[in-house]
Amino acid sequence: MFNFIKKIANGIEIHTLRTKLIISFLIIGLLPILLFGFLSFNVYSGAINDRINNYSQEMVNRMKRDLEDYITEVERFLSKEQDFYINQFIKLTQANDFRNSRKYAFRIWEDFNNVKQLRPGLKDVAITFQDGRRISSYGTYNIDIDNFKESLYADESDETFFTQPYINYFQEEVVTVARYYYPEIAEENVLISADIDLDVLADLTDFNLGEKSYFLIADQNGDIIYHPEKSKIGERSFYYSDGFPDRKVSLKGEQYLLTSTYSEVTGWYIISMASADEVEAELNYITNLTIYMTIIVLILIILLTLYLSSSLSKPIQKLQELTHRASENDLSVKIEISGDDEIAELGQSFNKMIRRINKLMEQNVREQKFLRQLEMESLDNQIKPHFIYNTLDLIIGLLENKDFDRATHMVEALGKFFRLSLSHGKEMVLIRNEIKHVKNYLFIQQFRHGEEYEYIIDIEDPEIMDKHIPKLILQPIVENSIYHGLLPADKKGLIIIKGLRKNKNIYFKIVDNGVGIAPEKVEEINKILKGELKIDDQQKYFGLRNVNQRLKLMYGGNSGLKVESVENEKTMVTIRIDQRGGK
Amino acid sequence: MFNLYSCKNNANKILLFVVLFMIIMCFSADAGAEISSKKTADSDKMTIAFVPRSLENPIFLDAFEHSQKKAVDLGINLEWLGSFSFDSEKQIKIIDSLIERKVDGMIISVNDTPKYDRIINRAMEAGIAVATFDADAPNSNRIFNIGIDNYEAGKVTAEGLLKVLDQKNIDYNDPDQELRTMIMTGVKGALNLEKRINAFLDTVADTNIVIEDIVENQDNVNLSVELLEQYVQKNPDIDIIFFVGGWPFYVPAEALPNFRNWAQNGGVAVGIDIFYDALVLQDRGLIHYLVGQDMATMGSKGLSTLYNYIKYGVKPPEYIKTGLEISNQENLDRLLRIHQPWRVK
Repeated sequence: MFNFIKKIANGIEIHTLRTKLIISFLIIGLLPILLFGFLSFNVYSGAINDRINNYSQEMVNRMKRDLEDYITEVERFLSKEQDFYINQFIKLTQANDFRNSRKYAFRIWEDFNNVKQLRPGLKDVAITFQDGRRISSYGTYNIDIDNFKESLYADESDETFFTQPYINYFQEEVVTVARYYYPEIAEENVLISADIDLDVLADLTDFNLGEKSYFLIADQNGDIIYHPEKSKIGERSFYYSDGFPDRKVSLKGEQYLLTSTYSEVTGWYIISMASADEVEAELNYITNLTIYMTIIVLILIILLTLYLSSSLSKPIQKLQELTHRASENDLSVKIEISGDDEIAELGQSFNKMIRRINKLMEQNVREQKFLRQLEMESLDNQIKPHFIYNTLDLIIGLLENKDFDRATHMVEALGKFFRLSLSHGKEMVLIRNEIKHVKNYLFIQQFRHGEEYEYIIDIEDPEIMDKHIPKLILQPIVENSIYHGLLPADKKGLIIIKGLRKNKNIYFKIVDNGVGIAPEKVEEINKILKGELKIDDQQKYFGLRNVNQRLKLMYGGNSGLKVESVENEKTMVTIRIDQRGGK
Repeated sequence: MFNLYSCKNNANKILLFVVLFMIIMCFSADAGAEISSKKTADSDKMTIAFVPRSLENPIFLDAFEHSQKKAVDLGINLEWLGSFSFDSEKQIKIIDSLIERKVDGMIISVNDTPKYDRIINRAMEAGIAVATFDADAPNSNRIFNIGIDNYEAGKVTAEGLLKVLDQKNIDYNDPDQELRTMIMTGVKGALNLEKRINAFLDTVADTNIVIEDIVENQDNVNLSVELLEQYVQKNPDIDIIFFVGGWPFYVPAEALPNFRNWAQNGGVAVGIDIFYDALVLQDRGLIHYLVGQDMATMGSKGLSTLYNYIKYGVKPPEYIKTGLEISNQENLDRLLRIHQPWRVK
């Protein structure tokens, strides 16, 4: 699984800066929108649900009020005190006095029809005798009194009775409300009843709650008294549970918000079934709006991200490519800079860096060239004609004197001297070889000058013998000691060459006990060596300057020469090689 | 228990005992609905329903009274059903409900129109014996009609009119002097009324009596009073009014001021239907000659005839004639003593 995700991630190059930017922007952009959408949806949905609940409750309460008003009005009519005409009709009818009862029958028909006219929705008004004889607004007829009584159930007052909906004698769907009437002049009581058209209940519940939403009325047992689907009337409601508590219910796979109220006058429940779909239809608008807004914002973010990531990643990609080319020694690269943002600054830095590298390389080339020139000059200085001629003359003299051993030594020393001077063209030589080179030189010069001076080579730290230093560092200094220190002096000369290491520095101290140098001159020389004083005569202090410059070029400004002298006593040249600055 | 719905809606229960329980419940519910909506508990008795044209027309009260007496004698469950005011749609609906309840027989007063023929034939096809009283539907399959000879009634009324004119020395043969006449009837299509009108016209054909207008009151008492008052106000010089039925006679003379003035100014009114209020109007000089129907016989004999037909298969004649009663100045006092006021004071 992890590999699979990794593969996909690799497939879409998730590691690239551009993809990371897109993902980051998407997350940053989408999260607040989704969060806002979710919160606003919840808040709005809560408000709508509250509104629907309140509206449904208001509707059922209003229906209850209307229903109770209507039923109370009917009850008021049914709750007759003594009625002369009815009493007379009852008395005469019970006596089968049809001759005298007919005018009361006519009166009752007239009255009951007036009542029907005054109260829309009343289908019939009737007086029913205990034997089932009935006089109503439609005339006189007989009913099954036992069945009729059985169908009645009392309200809470136990004085008014209701039936379930049924089809009456005249094929009308009605609910009957009845009360007992006790005539003063007859022993037998009668039932006065009113048949209420079910359409009255339909009119009472004719509130627009939505296409799928509807109202229904059920009795205390949950038996449906009115339902828009007439086939449901008389059924026990599925939602009856010791009443109809308000809740969300499911019907045929759809959700409904059930709200109910109980009418104490009728003993009926008035129930509203608000379709949750319809309630949420309004929410769908918000949902769709949120979705559309999210999609639009998503597209905008993607476009913005593409633009931003391109504007960010393109220069970086270009920078990467140029850096790669630069790493492949193509230092001609240059970034075309537009704008003044951080990327542009980076490009400027890159260009600056490339320019600096180029400059450093040019400087390096120049320095190398100068170094070579100094080396060559140093070599040229080594191969001075009179040194070679004198030495060769000396060798010839030895050969003429048949002093072949010394001649051999001299030839050998001269050969080594030049071989070590050239060192196969190497720039750096072992200190060991540099010491040998100085020894050969001193051997030759000692022989030439009749051993007027001695020399001592003292290397305190033998380990430095295997360190590399630029060639021809010691010999020019020793040569200066001989020619400018010892030879002008009238005393036995001594040259001490001392090698030591201190911290990361290698020091060579070349001390002679010659004539020394005047202090002003020492100061001048040191200033020249430090670069504090320029000279026009390039031959002046050539040896010292050559060695000093080569050391500084190779080891940095800390390396170089320093001259100390006590006039008529000694001169000491210190060579400092700072290995930390070595190339 | 009292409705027709519970059976089918609970029939899809799965458990056997529930099914059985529901069957029992349905059976009992069906039984209740059956009895309640079709026959009464006293279902051994034959049920015959009278359907008058309306309840508000007191002319039918005699039939109502005497049919009830006869029903007690014969042991019949009698029903007397109708809309309060005449309304053919409501009357047909009532007849339809009687068919639905499968009563044994019905005696109805109807218009002679195809829609009544259809409902009567449907009842007959459903095994319900149907007869007509007062107004007939001869084109239907009804078994018989009981009522007056309407042509005879119209004729007698016209003859009575001529007698009154003689008494008032009004020359009804003078070709130079027309006697302008208005006829008030119920609705067109009522065969009994048409016959009365035709007989009247036939009888006065050779006189100078000319029919100026025929006014229909839709079998409505109140409307008939209103139309009469308006008519005589607009046409005070009308000479004669022939009332084909007694619709406007149910109100006291004080409720007919224009008509009363017209009568006092020499107008002559004759009509069919005798009952207490009509006789009072005659006594006060608003009406001059009345011909009555024997509604009591229509009620009692109509019921017994249909009972015999249903119970014993005694086939009656198609037309059973009841007699006519005449009210004139000579017998008015006697008739006022016989006829009872129908209105409760």
